Amino acid sequence: MAPSTSTTVNGFTVLQVAYSSSSTHYIYSRKHIAKKTDTSTGSTSKRKTGADLPTGRTLFLVNVPPDATERELVLLFKPCGTVERVLFDFDVQEQQRDDDDSELEDEDGADEEDDMEVANAEESSRRKRRRLAKENQVPKVVSLPETPHRTIRKTGLTAYVIFLDESSLDRIASLSSKTRPWPTSSEEPSGLEHYAAMYQNLRPPLDSIREHVDSYMELFEYKLAKSKQKSQYRKGEAIVDEDGFTLVTRGGAYGKTLGGGVGVATKRFQRSGETARRRPKKEKKEKEGFYAFQRAEKQRTELLNLKQKWEEDKAKVEKLKQSRKFKPY
Amino acid sequence: MALNLKRKRGEDERSRKAPKLEEGSDISGSGSEADDSGDEVMQDLSGDEGEEEWGGVGDEAQPVKSAHNEPTSSISKKPPTGGELRAIREATDLYRSSSFKLQIDALLPNIRPKLSRAPPLEKFLLKLHTFLKGLPSVEPQHPLDASRKLLSKGVAVPYCSPLPIEDTNWKVAFEAPDDITLVGSWPNKISIKPKDGQKYGVDVAVQMPDEKDYLNGRFFQKKAFYLAILANSIRNPKSGLNVDVHYESTSGDPRLTKLVLVPKSDGSQTDFTKLNARVCIIPTTSTNSPIPLHRLSPAHANIRINSTKTSGEDTHSPTPVYNNALLTSLSPKPHLLSTYNSIHSIPAFADALSLLRLWANQRGFGEGSRLCVKGFESSGPLWSGLLELVIDGEEPSTSAASKRKALGKGLSSYQLFKAVLDCLAKHDFSKHPALIKSTANHKFSVNEFKEHHSATLVDSSSLVNLVAYLPLGCLDLLRHEASKTLEILNSASLAVDPFTDVFLHDHRDTATRFDVIFQVDLSTAKARESSLHQSLDFGSPTDYLLYNMNTILRKALGDRTRAVAFLQPSSTPSNPSTRPLTQAHPSTSSTIFIGLVLDPNNAFQLVQHGPPADSTDTAALNEFRELWGSKSEMRRFKDGRITESVVWDVKTADERSHVPAMVVRHILQWHFGLDESHVQTWQSDYDSVIRLPKEIAARYVQVAAGSGVGFKGAIKAFDGLVKAVKALDDKLPLSLVSVSPVSESLRYTSTFNPVPLTPALAASLPPNARYSQPISIVFEFEKSAKWPDDLRAIQKIKLAFFEGIAAGLMESVPGLKASVVLGSGDLKEANNELLDKAFLEIVTPEGWAFHARIWHDREATLLDRILDDKGPMPHIVVSKKRKQAERKGKEYLDAVEAKEVYERRYLHAPRHHRAIAALAHQYSAFSGTCRLVKRWFASHWLLGGHVSEEVVELLCAQFFVGDGKFVGSDAEIPASTLAVVPSTKERGFATVIRFLSEWKWEDGGLWVCLYGPRKEEEAEGEGASKPDLPKASTAGAWIVSTEVDQGGKMWSKGGPDAIVARRVRALAGATWKYLQTIEDGTFNVKGLFIHPTEDYDFLVQLNPSVLPRYVHNIAADEKLLNKSGKFANAVAKNQDQELVRPGFDPARSLFNDLQTTYSDTFRIFYDPYGGDMFGAVWDPTLKEPRSFRVLGGFSSLPAKEENGKAKDRGLVTLNDAGVLGEIQRLGSGLVKSVVKQYS
Repeated sequence: MAPSTSTTVNGFTVLQVAYSSSSTHYIYSRKHIAKKTDTSTGSTSKRKTGADLPTGRTLFLVNVPPDATERELVLLFKPCGTVERVLFDFDVQEQQRDDDDSELEDEDGADEEDDMEVANAEESSRRKRRRLAKENQVPKVVSLPETPHRTIRKTGLTAYVIFLDESSLDRIASLSSKTRPWPTSSEEPSGLEHYAAMYQNLRPPLDSIREHVDSYMELFEYKLAKSKQKSQYRKGEAIVDEDGFTLVTRGGAYGKTLGGGVGVATKRFQRSGETARRRPKKEKKEKEGFYAFQRAEKQRTELLNLKQKWEEDKAKVEKLKQSRKFKPY
Repeated sequence: MALNLKRKRGEDERSRKAPKLEEGSDISGSGSEADDSGDEVMQDLSGDEGEEEWGGVGDEAQPVKSAHNEPTSSISKKPPTGGELRAIREATDLYRSSSFKLQIDALLPNIRPKLSRAPPLEKFLLKLHTFLKGLPSVEPQHPLDASRKLLSKGVAVPYCSPLPIEDTNWKVAFEAPDDITLVGSWPNKISIKPKDGQKYGVDVAVQMPDEKDYLNGRFFQKKAFYLAILANSIRNPKSGLNVDVHYESTSGDPRLTKLVLVPKSDGSQTDFTKLNARVCIIPTTSTNSPIPLHRLSPAHANIRINSTKTSGEDTHSPTPVYNNALLTSLSPKPHLLSTYNSIHSIPAFADALSLLRLWANQRGFGEGSRLCVKGFESSGPLWSGLLELVIDGEEPSTSAASKRKALGKGLSSYQLFKAVLDCLAKHDFSKHPALIKSTANHKFSVNEFKEHHSATLVDSSSLVNLVAYLPLGCLDLLRHEASKTLEILNSASLAVDPFTDVFLHDHRDTATRFDVIFQVDLSTAKARESSLHQSLDFGSPTDYLLYNMNTILRKALGDRTRAVAFLQPSSTPSNPSTRPLTQAHPSTSSTIFIGLVLDPNNAFQLVQHGPPADSTDTAALNEFRELWGSKSEMRRFKDGRITESVVWDVKTADERSHVPAMVVRHILQWHFGLDESHVQTWQSDYDSVIRLPKEIAARYVQVAAGSGVGFKGAIKAFDGLVKAVKALDDKLPLSLVSVSPVSESLRYTSTFNPVPLTPALAASLPPNARYSQPISIVFEFEKSAKWPDDLRAIQKIKLAFFEGIAAGLMESVPGLKASVVLGSGDLKEANNELLDKAFLEIVTPEGWAFHARIWHDREATLLDRILDDKGPMPHIVVSKKRKQAERKGKEYLDAVEAKEVYERRYLHAPRHHRAIAALAHQYSAFSGTCRLVKRWFASHWLLGGHVSEEVVELLCAQFFVGDGKFVGSDAEIPASTLAVVPSTKERGFATVIRFLSEWKWEDGGLWVCLYGPRKEEEAEGEGASKPDLPKASTAGAWIVSTEVDQGGKMWSKGGPDAIVARRVRALAGATWKYLQTIEDGTFNVKGLFIHPTEDYDFLVQLNPSVLPRYVHNIAADEKLLNKSGKFANAVAKNQDQELVRPGFDPARSLFNDLQTTYSDTFRIFYDPYGGDMFGAVWDPTLKEPRSFRVLGGFSSLPAKEENGKAKDRGLVTLNDAGVLGEIQRLGSGLVKSVVKQYS
């Protein structure tokens, strides 16, 4: 059922992977070309993608098996050359978001490179390393122990395979000519054993949890202290920018609920003199039904409503009748 | 006679018009000239007015139309005219609501015969009249000779017992009838359509020559002969009537046999087949017949048999039923007249009677081919009698105890209908005989009736007791149904219009109507004590047996039941009520259904006290012993009493609900010799579907006997754990404020009884029965400022808390195991750092597993900051563009999810738990209902993956909370309210299934008053909020709102979506249909839970020997549950610490993974309770080749086309083989095979 020669779809080379004798999976591959605007990641990441995914030695894959691991893809592309690393769709997005954060946080992104090496590790630990490069006294988070396991993603997702050597990409075409078996790595178990391993992984020993939390909190405190130091906002202190303007903030009844700058009361308070709590509405001054015409009017509207409801009911019943609702049997 | 008829009809029409004229003129004055030409001409509003009172509602559409023809602007501006106003006011004041009245008006024409089809019938009746008048007389002859002669012509004479013998010295003869009258409801135009497409009855009373011999059934023998002669001559083709002639006996009493004429379709002028009617010929005798009426009083003995077998006094004991049957032969004509008078003096009489009979028909108090209540087969006069009773009141001399005021004549039909229901619900005809007030004085005294009839209602025109035939239990059922309907009509919530339920729904199905149902085979039934005399009095031995059985059962069950009803179809195609002329006696069906409506307050009592042992009243003592037989024992009770008593032996909690069934079985065995095989119930079959297999359950009970199993054990373990954690107070930085249970195991609604699992026990169980269901609880600590103000950090601090509690518990409680679990392992969950994931897993020394989480309310505020439009700092203006970017950002989406989880887990779940637990305490059948319904959802592969447990509980709860009046109150719930609530889980289950099969969720949501009655403003608010509902309903189709969850999506957000919801309805419909087979005896409870798998595109078969929950499978293979499985070695290899893995369910995990991974590829279904198969359906749109996209979201392969163009266009299609291969790999070790059913 599988075509034997190499095929292309929309400029993608189709790679055929056999799961078993009866079923074949199709992966679509293309050389990665850094685009000027990447819709999913936003404008800030534009210049980063180059560093992330080097043009020329990155292969873009579509429809990766949902349970594929890095190791399995490395094995699959072994005939083409050595794979430096594999980025799954999910991780790419996450990482870029991460990088955005880090860029906002600290000015220089020089430590980007070693950051990449731990793409798959936990975010906190990555941040930690980054800090480590700059300041040595930053606390270190002890990560929780876990045995290797698979991540099962949504089907039909994408991945980037970055080769060590540019020439590897050219060999892809030759790969596509024949169906190759899907390499299953035994390192990460699948199926029943996978679930047993996950079950075990989710229940780490208590002491490691303590260690992990303690170190995490240490880091948290440290960061908190640092950001406090940095922060321009301080309660009661006026913030004056370089042009000499004072920052005025709004909030609370008397403008005191907020942290920094000069406080001004909320708009609601200014307008109504009331805080957020609702007060019962004041009674109307004029009595209803004081004048004869009001009473007459009231009566008239009541009658009209009555009639309207009657007509509505009639129409409703008529409709039900049409749908033969009133045949009890 | 036809002239007679015509005249009557003419008169009828005239008198129908007369009041209209008056009405019309006093309202508008313009109606008078329009009146002459009948209904159709009545166009103005006074006509409309007249119609509603007179029931001529055939042209209801007309006034509506005329109203619409007016320019719309004038409608809105012009206030209603006086006439209109009056009509409106009347509709709203005299009826339940104006729409109720309009609905009644729309309904009535549908249940009446089409008079346009009547002319052939009239012609036929005319012909019949002339024919009967001209019949030649037959010489008096010996009854047996006469019958032999007729039999040779193919007509049996329906003589009743005591049958005539050779040496009888009386003779039978025939003479042409003196008088032929159309009687019953047809001439009065108050016939209503019978159920199940049966025919309208047109009764013709044929007056026999005067007869004065009323003794020993001779009157009936002569009547039988008369009937046989009539049958023979009508049957004769020479008569030219062209009809089929049958015998039919009212209520199976051969004394009340009549002739039934059904037209043969021949297209002639007298062929009234189209009318769907049949003519019944009833021989009667004239009211001024020479039979002395005082001889027919209930106290009189009119069967005097001189048999040697019976003792002397027996021959003179009274024969009330016999006398009543004789009186019935006198009654048709007076009856006709009195009804005629009522119709014409009481404007709403005819409509009210129609409503009442419709109501009764819908509840099986009438004829039908489905199960009908025994004794109501020909109860036509009963309903008009009841109406007379409420309108005219009782004879002043009768029961002084219950004096009901007579109602006026000007009430509306609805008011009259309701008054009758009220009377039925409150009046006990057995204790207080009712004699309807009549112009002529009643000839028999109340006491005579009271003494000899079990229940009495005597109508005004004759002396017939209308309820003489009814078994008391069936009369109880009538009372119960009336109070049930009243409850519905009176219920405060105006949101649901009860019209449908009261008039349009068929309520005859046994499953939702009765708490316990029995199918009894009567073929071998033999009463332990029966008297020949009484049997003769009853006319038919079967009737006597049933009447007797009902009386004894009713006595034995006492206040356990509200009603003991006997049910039998009155006429089915296989067993019609009519019989051929060759058959003299009515055939009887050998099966009967007994339905019990229980009173939950007393039904399940284990001990029944009799009279004290030292009682001087030996008669009472003997009676008690006689009633109970071997079951009756002398016992001494804790309070020192020594009484004769009956004790029912109950081993488990489930069995307790079987006590009423035990009583019935015992009584039938003891009094009627019917053993187990003849009496069938389905209760224990229902029990078995929510129970573990026997051997496994026995092992649990053996090992865990000390700590207790089941819900009680779980609650005890929970309390113990709370104590242990509270004791750790000084070791934890914050003190524990409360622990809320949020598990179905602690609120009595988990399908299976919760059980503990210790390593030792697990080792003795087969590997596929080692599932331990963790019980979720929530810790709440005191408020503190020490918590970090960051969501990620909060999650880490929770870990620290868990670690502290775990360490502390393990130290303080020996044998307890605790570990911190980081999450559920779901990828989506793992990536969301804001989400509350971790929990503490505790396994108590007794083997109970708990999952505890910590509720920290600061999380909500922090999440809101992310979600709020204002951004984290309200004073900093965020640009719109950036806001939108944030909307799509991961942080925002994570926060949305985290907030949702937070609200569900910490706000709604504990509240839901408390409400449901309270309900389970209040209504004993609630928990069982939930459990059965959950089992049903699960076994049809819907629970868990598509339908949440909580929404199932809400669906079940709606039938128990009603309008929420008694939610959370300790007050005794009034019996009238309890009557509507199911008292056994079987009935509850059937009710829910019926609801699911009928629920139109597309039209709007469901409101469950779980937290008290619905407030008015909420009900009103719903209408306003409706427009934006569709927007939110993308995921879940069901809207189940409560007071705390107005949106109604809290528990149904994750499903079912519209496709699955439709499937639920279809499945429920099939199940409901299958439930109906109870009536024909092919029903099997397991069949309700067998899921059809043909519809799935492919099935994934799992290996049952590795599923820890396989033991819960509905059809678990016992062989696979043996300890020594194939993988004995593999088991031995495992460490014993792995034996107990709470919540470890790889099949469930695989299912979840497949569901998320392939959410856009197929929809997958599976039974969470040990299902060994997944079924899935491809998304049909994926079958079409489509152009290649990078983020296609499914596994594709390049489409092939012969000319190769496909490649150029880049079309791809679903790679189904590849997906199946992936499933096989993802589930390696679990999946046995993947079977493709359709490609």
